[in-house]
Amino acid sequence: MNRENGEQPFSDPRSELGTKQADETASPQLRRRRIDLGSPGSKRYRRTLVLTLLQLLVIAAVMLPLLWMISVSIKPNNEPFAIPARLWPNEPTLNNYATAFQPEFRRYFLNSIVVSVSTILISVTAGLLAAYSVSRFRLRGFRHVLLFLIAAQMVPAATIIIPLFGIVRTFDLLNTYVALIGAYVTITVPVATWMLLGFIRSIPPELEEAAMCDGATRLQAFRLVVVPLARPGIAATSVWLAVVVWQEFLFALSLTTSRDMRTVPVGLSDFIGQYGIRYGDLMASSVAVSIPIMVLFFFLQRYFVAGLTAGAVKG
Amino acid sequence: MNDVQSTRGGHSPRGAGKSTARRREQLIAVSFLLPAVILVGGLVYVPLARAVYDTVFATTMFGTQPQFVGLEQYKDILGTSTFWTVVRNSLVWTVSVVLLQNVAGLAIAVLLNQNLRLLGLTRTLLLLPWVLPGVVAALLWRFMYDPQLGLVNALLNSAGLISKNVAWLAQPTTAMAAVVVAALWKGFPFSMVVYLAALQTVDRDQIEAATVDGARAWQRFRYVVVPSIAGIIRLNILLTTIFTFNYFDLIWIATQGGPLNSTHIFPTYIFQLGFGEFQFGDASVYGVIAALMLVAVAVLYLRELRPQGVR
Repeated sequence: MNRENGEQPFSDPRSELGTKQADETASPQLRRRRIDLGSPGSKRYRRTLVLTLLQLLVIAAVMLPLLWMISVSIKPNNEPFAIPARLWPNEPTLNNYATAFQPEFRRYFLNSIVVSVSTILISVTAGLLAAYSVSRFRLRGFRHVLLFLIAAQMVPAATIIIPLFGIVRTFDLLNTYVALIGAYVTITVPVATWMLLGFIRSIPPELEEAAMCDGATRLQAFRLVVVPLARPGIAATSVWLAVVVWQEFLFALSLTTSRDMRTVPVGLSDFIGQYGIRYGDLMASSVAVSIPIMVLFFFLQRYFVAGLTAGAVKG
Repeated sequence: MNDVQSTRGGHSPRGAGKSTARRREQLIAVSFLLPAVILVGGLVYVPLARAVYDTVFATTMFGTQPQFVGLEQYKDILGTSTFWTVVRNSLVWTVSVVLLQNVAGLAIAVLLNQNLRLLGLTRTLLLLPWVLPGVVAALLWRFMYDPQLGLVNALLNSAGLISKNVAWLAQPTTAMAAVVVAALWKGFPFSMVVYLAALQTVDRDQIEAATVDGARAWQRFRYVVVPSIAGIIRLNILLTTIFTFNYFDLIWIATQGGPLNSTHIFPTYIFQLGFGEFQFGDASVYGVIAALMLVAVAVLYLRELRPQGVR
């Protein structure tokens, strides 16, 4: 998808707010800038130098734990931990990563993927339909329905986990994908509705009206006009939900008891409480678990940031 | 936005009776809403109602039939010192994490907004902690704080700031501060990205005008930039408050609420009561109180949203 297509519908929801944001943010972070360093010794030069040093310092501080995680993950198990800790192992190895690809971990990955993909499909579909309905039809009570949907974000997951567990047990659904997806949907449908609402509102209703004047039914107009135009919004929402669902821990911990049904985060947390934590294996598995979401994030980052800001900057 | 109404009725297909077309539109409108309403209603509000129900009815030893006990269970819980510990921890945790994340997020956003090189790469790198799964971040920080093997002690030692190893997560005096720092690292990128986007909306002409009038950098920030993003700051504080108040992964993995309950917040204590001690009734009372505390925040949150977002 090219940049113009991706960027444009995103700038619209905010221009609709009637604020001065619109033109300035068309492609906020990606705008290329000419950087004037100034001549050495000038005030501007010194300022740039100080700011760049600060920038590097922040990057170093934030990246340090991550680098350390990687460094420990490639440390041979027999290389003793240097005390005090050393930042890079003498003989790096990938042996620790074998743990992350043992059958049980492969099963965790499978579970996580199945549950994440299903949750995202369900939530984006339900959210898109609801957002479209609320933004295009002004029926009595719709405002309250929207509030009902969005306010669900405020209900703490910890509050509903106890009754949800009871319901799941009653219907004999412990250790099933259905239970996990059902629980995840409580988090994702409200978020998806809210995010997609911003994107749907940015699509001018005139486009569908034109299609309907040409003889399309409402459903055809939705499918053939609105859905394609909402694609960047759907992508942004999906990436956001993927980040949320891939790391979900509380529901997965509560609703699965058998090893076979664990998701990746729960599987990882099993490392704790094992006789002395094998940090090398743990860090290798941690890196392996983070890679899918990092890769996804890397490629879809633009949508992701758009989604993040659509959710918050909108207000 | 205000002419949305025109999409309904205004373009009923020629020939077909207006009311039939309108009814069809209404049918579509309602059936489009149904999946979301059923999912959210059935999976959020029904369990929530069930949680409230469980707190006012109790199963006694003598009958299997639940008895109505009113607010009896709430009174019992409010009389325990553990409850007040959890309340205090939740407040300390939420307020400090939210403050630190927002201050750091805004400060770094301002820094990155100064025409620096490699802005895109920098932003990607700084976002990584936020994308990192919560459990991974928690395990990583647990390891960072390890008294013997951890990087934190190693760094502080070599900087000469501590003379012997500190068990950061194992003593009540330091455990909360330790998890707050980890949460700051994990969560600040969210605020950073939001503020970075917000800063780009600030009117450049206003800043230039202030410069011409002799305003110094701090004054420009305080009197031009902050007021023009004040709405976003307020909204972001409310959002991060909700995230933080409900955040379970980090504390559960790092300390399990210990030592001596010194890091137990509502989500971790509810989980322990329910799934560790099988005190489902007590867990529900804590759960409902946690929800009520968030409602107070939610009212503010929705008031922020209403003028422009939700109508």
